[in-house]
Amino acid sequence: MNAHEDKWEELINSLMDGELSGPDADLLKAAAADDRQLARAIIEAHQLRQVMAAIRVERAPHSLRKGLLAIPRQHRPRPAFRLLQPRWAMALAAIPLTLIAVSLMQPDQPSASEIAKARQELAIAFACLDKAAAITGREIESNVGQTMADAVTNSVGRAIKSQNSDLKENKA
Amino acid sequence: MSKSYRQWVKEYQDQAWTVARYILKDAGEAQDATQEAFVKLWHNRDNIDPERVQSWLMKVTRNGCLDRLRRRRDYVEFDESYMTAEVSGPMQDVAASETREWLKRAIGSLQEPYRSLVVLRDVNQHSYEEVATMLELNLAQVKTYLHRARKQLREQLAEVRP
Repeated sequence: MNAHEDKWEELINSLMDGELSGPDADLLKAAAADDRQLARAIIEAHQLRQVMAAIRVERAPHSLRKGLLAIPRQHRPRPAFRLLQPRWAMALAAIPLTLIAVSLMQPDQPSASEIAKARQELAIAFACLDKAAAITGREIESNVGQTMADAVTNSVGRAIKSQNSDLKENKA
Repeated sequence: MSKSYRQWVKEYQDQAWTVARYILKDAGEAQDATQEAFVKLWHNRDNIDPERVQSWLMKVTRNGCLDRLRRRRDYVEFDESYMTAEVSGPMQDVAASETREWLKRAIGSLQEPYRSLVVLRDVNQHSYEEVATMLELNLAQVKTYLHRARKQLREQLAEVRP
């Protein structure tokens, strides 16, 4: 080829692409008439184009097609935290609600030390009451008489016994 | 399943497969590479401009194939077993078939990026602009490299068909 090699190669490339214009084709023909190498290059390009036309995009194998269509199923995005699924969220929310409800239904439970202190104070109070009842009985006896005194002291005694038995039941 | 994805598989699976097949010259590896490219497409489907899916997919397929080639320790540039499952027929068909086989081998023996250029432009029939996008080259580079690749093929063809 001569000094116009780049220009000819560009035109040959256009020939390969099937985009060689009429004027360019004439130009190439005219040049090839005096240039054996260029003529040979044109023939080779033409032959290559013919062979190229025989090979086309290959059909993907069936197994590949199946595999490609299965990708969305195989690569389904997993939830970041499964417990955030609606049914689990509801179940999780029910747990604290249940705990709160149960705690509200439960009576207040005093501590062991509080119970011991209450017993002690109750024993002192009963002793005071016994003492007060005895004094009251003596005063009534001296002022009103034995009959009236028995009525009052018995009433006070029953009240104390009743409270005592309530306390025992509570303890049980 | 995304309708778009299904459509993309239908439209581009053969092109991606062809690119992988020519670059890797191994059917099993080509299947894996094509599969990987489509997995990436599935994961990135919301971030890709629908107009550019084809270019994106071809680029990803090619890059995946080139990565595989780099990882091959005993990489043999020319695999004799490449595409041997051709049907036989009448003599003229055999000649045409042999020529096709020769060309496939010749394309497969080109160095990168010439091989990819020929596959994308001459086999898959993409435009120069599309090829430029897929290979991340400018238009002038695509034309120059393709010209060189074709010249190599022409010269090789002249040797086998004097």
